[in-house]
Amino acid sequence: MLDLAALLPIAQNGDGFVRDPAESGTSCVAENDTVCVGWAVDNIDRYVTPTLEHLELVVLSVGFGFALAFAMALISHRRRWLVPTFTGVTGVIYTLPSIALFALLLPITGRGTTTAVIALTLYTLQIIYRNIVTGLANVPEASKDTGRGMGMTDRQLLWKVELPLAVPEIIAGLRIATVSTVAIATLAVFAGAGGLGAEIYNDIDFKTGIVVSGTIAIAMAIAFDALYVLAQRWISPWRKVRPV
Amino acid sequence: MEAAAAANSTETRAEALAVEFREATKRYPGAETDAVHALNLDVPAGDICVLVGPSGCGKTTAMRMVNRMVEITAGDIVVGERSVRERSASELRREIGYVIQEIGLFPHRTIADNIATVPQLLGWDKERTRARVGELIELIGLDPALADRFPAQLSGGQQQRVGVARALAANPGVMLMDEPFGAVDPINRERLQNEFLRLQAELRKTILFVTHDIDEALKMGDRIAVLQEGGHLAQYATPAELLMAPANSFVEDFVGADRALKRLALLRVADIDLWQAPLAYVGQATTEVRAKLNGAEVPHPLLVDSERRPVGWLSEADLGRDTVPSKPDSAAHPLLELDDVMRDALSDLLQAETQYAPVVDGRGRIAGVLSIEIVSEFLNSPDALTDEHAAAERPLT
Amino acid sequence: MSVAAPTVVPLADVFDSFSGAIEFIFNERETAGGVGGEPVGGLEQIGDLLWTHVEVSALALGLALVIALPVGLYFGHRGTGELLAVAIGNAGRAIPELALIAFMAAFIGVGLLNVTIALAVLGIPPILTNTFVGVRQVDRGAVEAARGMGMSEAEVIRKVELPLAAPTIMTGVRTGAINIVATAAIAPLAGVLTLGDLILSRNVVGDDGVIAGAIVVALLALAVELALAGVQRLVTPRGLKVQRAGA
Repeated sequence: MLDLAALLPIAQNGDGFVRDPAESGTSCVAENDTVCVGWAVDNIDRYVTPTLEHLELVVLSVGFGFALAFAMALISHRRRWLVPTFTGVTGVIYTLPSIALFALLLPITGRGTTTAVIALTLYTLQIIYRNIVTGLANVPEASKDTGRGMGMTDRQLLWKVELPLAVPEIIAGLRIATVSTVAIATLAVFAGAGGLGAEIYNDIDFKTGIVVSGTIAIAMAIAFDALYVLAQRWISPWRKVRPV
Repeated sequence: MEAAAAANSTETRAEALAVEFREATKRYPGAETDAVHALNLDVPAGDICVLVGPSGCGKTTAMRMVNRMVEITAGDIVVGERSVRERSASELRREIGYVIQEIGLFPHRTIADNIATVPQLLGWDKERTRARVGELIELIGLDPALADRFPAQLSGGQQQRVGVARALAANPGVMLMDEPFGAVDPINRERLQNEFLRLQAELRKTILFVTHDIDEALKMGDRIAVLQEGGHLAQYATPAELLMAPANSFVEDFVGADRALKRLALLRVADIDLWQAPLAYVGQATTEVRAKLNGAEVPHPLLVDSERRPVGWLSEADLGRDTVPSKPDSAAHPLLELDDVMRDALSDLLQAETQYAPVVDGRGRIAGVLSIEIVSEFLNSPDALTDEHAAAERPLT
Repeated sequence: MSVAAPTVVPLADVFDSFSGAIEFIFNERETAGGVGGEPVGGLEQIGDLLWTHVEVSALALGLALVIALPVGLYFGHRGTGELLAVAIGNAGRAIPELALIAFMAAFIGVGLLNVTIALAVLGIPPILTNTFVGVRQVDRGAVEAARGMGMSEAEVIRKVELPLAAPTIMTGVRTGAINIVATAAIAPLAGVLTLGDLILSRNVVGDDGVIAGAIVVALLALAVELALAGVQRLVTPRGLKVQRAGA
C-alpha cells in the first residue's frame, strides 16, 4: 500500500505554527481580535520565503502552460479538426477542483513543487490555448492574402504576419492565466509545495496572518496584471495609434 | 524631377515580361462548370491588359492563376519564357507584384517595413532595401515622414498607394492588380488612376488589371479582355476596337448602350476637323462680313478681338448696322478648348442649348467651331478608327 | 519548505490506491484515526458530504446570480460602467481562495451562511462581467428597432437583450459555478463539511479516503459543467445558433 503519510502536509498536527506559542497575556497576537500591524511589520521576514515559493510556482506554471498551449495551437493551426478536441480537453481539466487534482496526482508524482506545478500548468491551458487560437483567427484575411501573394511560405506567414498580429490576444490570455494562477497557488500547500497558502494553513485562525498572506497574494496579482498591460503596449505599438 | 530620376535608377529599369495564357483552365473540385475555360491570351511585355466582366465571370480567378494563388487545372501560363509551374509558388510570387482591393497592408508593420517585405524575403541587404524603400515612397508621391507610421494612421488613398509601392519593391516583371482602386472613393479613385498611368508611362511594367467597371477598363487598358461567365473570353481588343466593333451582343451590352459617348471619352476636341466661322472685327463694315457668310461652314459670324479671341456671336440685328458693334447680342458661350476631352466638350455644348461653340487654343485664340453635327459625322467616318487608335495611345491626364 | 525532487511511484502501487479508493466509496470501514473512532467511507457518508457540497454550491451560485445578473443587466443596458465591470471581473480572478475562506472563518465566523457568502463572492465577478459584456454586444440595431416598435425599457431587456446575451451570460455562469464548486472543496476549513473534508482529513479517512474524495468531487465538477453546458444550449435562441453555423 502506498504511504501517503509522507506525502500530505502535516500542518494539521500543529507543526509549523505561525504564531509563537510562547506569546501570552493581553498582546494583540494572543487575543487575536484584529489585525496586529505591529506583529506584521516585525515578522515580515518570515513571509519572504513563502512569497518566493509562490512566485516560483506561478512563473513555472505559466511558463510551462504557455509553452504547452503554444505547441498545441501550432499543431491545431493547420489541422482545424483538432481545435474542438483540444478545447474540450483543456476545458474539462479546468473544471477539476485544485485540491482534487493535487490529491489525484500525489500518488503519481509525490509531494512537492512538481505536483503543484503540474496541476497549475494544466489549469492555465484552457485560457491560453483559447486566446492563441482566437488571436490567430482574428488576423485580417487581406493581410494573409497579400502575404501569400507576395511569396511568403506558410511558415513565414505564420511567424511574420499571423503570430505578431495575434500577440495582443495572446498577452491577454497570459494575463488572465497569471492572475488566476497567483490566486489558485494559495492552495498549493495541499500538494506540499508551500507558498503563501502555507502561511495561512499552518495557523488558520490567526487573523493577522491571513490578512498579510492574502494581501501579498493580491498585491502580486496586481503587479503581474500591470506588467502585462505594459508589455502589451510595448510589444504592439500599432494598437495604440490613431490616424494622423 | 526626382521621381523621374528614381524611375530611371537601375532598380526600376528591369525588363518587363510578357504573359501568355495557353488554354489555361480552372475547375474547382466538385464544380459542374469551369471557373476559367481554356483561356488564350497574349499580353505583350509592357502592356496593361485589363480583365473585365460581370461578377463570377472568372476574371479574378484568371489573374490569380498567374501567381498560382489559384492552381491551374489544365493548360499553362507562361511568364517571360518560363511556365509558372516550373518553380515553387512562393519563389514565383516574389517576382510578381500583387495588389488587391482590400489593400492588405500589415497593420503591425510600419509603412517602410511593409514596402520592404519582398526585398527582405529575397534577402537583400539593409542598405539596398533602405534605398529602394526611399525611392518608392517618392515615386508614389508619399510624404517621407509617413514612412515610420503605421497603416492605421494613413488615409485610404495613401494606403492604396503604399500597396502599389509594396508590389513594385522588388522590381517585378509582371504586376497583378485586383480592383486596386475599388476601395477608394470616386474622387480619389480618379486621382489614383491618373497617377498610376503616369507611373506606368515611366515604368512600363506588364500589368494584369482586373475590374468590373468598363469605364475604368477603357481608361486604363492598352488591351481589354472581356470575359463571359465561366471564364470564356468574349473579346480581346484595344479600347477603340471594343467600342466600335463589339464581337457579340454580350460585349455590346457590357460595354453599355452609350458606346458612342464612351468613344468620345477617348478623344480630344483637337483630334477632329473643326468648322470655321467667318470672323468679324469691331468697326468692320457689316457688308464685308455678310459677304463672308456666303458658303461659310458656320452660318453665323463670330466677333473676335485684335488677338483673335472670341467675344461673341453677331445676330441679324447686329448685322443690320453699318459697322460691327463692340457688344454682340450673344456671348461666345460655351467656350471650349482644343485640349478638352471630347465627351466633356459635347456635354457643355448640349447643356448650353446652342448649336455651335467656339473652340480656342492654349492662348485663347479662336481655332474653330464645334457642333453636334461635326461630332456625329466624325464618329461615322472611316477615318475614325485610325484616329481613335492614335488618341488611345496618348495618356489622358 | 517543499522538496524539489519528485517521488515517482511504481505503477502497481498507483493502481492499488485507486482501487482502494473505489472500495472506500461504496463500503464503510474502520477509521484510520485509531480505535474507537467513527467508521468512515461508504455511500451514506459520501452521500452526506456530496449533498452538503451541492447545497452550499447551489446556494452560493443562486446568491451570486441574484446579485450579479440584475446589476450586469442594468448597467449593460444603460451602457455605462464598463470600466468598473471589467475591473471587477479582473479583480475577481485575483482573489486567493484559501485566504478568502480563512478570512471568512476567522473574522466573521464558521457555518453555512458565511461560507455561502464567501463562495458567492467568487461567483459574482464572472457572472457580472459576462452579463455586462453580453448585453453590450447585442446588435444595437435590434435594440433600436425594439424601442422603435414601442417596447418599454424593461421589455427591451427581457425580450431582446436577455435572450441575445444569454449564451455569453451562461459562459459567465459556468465559470462562476466552476469557481464555486472548486472552492467549496476547502469549505471544511470553515466548518462546512463538503467532499473536501475527505481530502483534508487523511488521518481520519486514510489514503483511500483522500483519493475517493478527489474522485467524487472531480466527477461532481464535471457533472455540473456538463449540466450547465446543456442549459447554455437550451438557452441559446435558435436564430443565434443558425447565425453562428453560417458564419
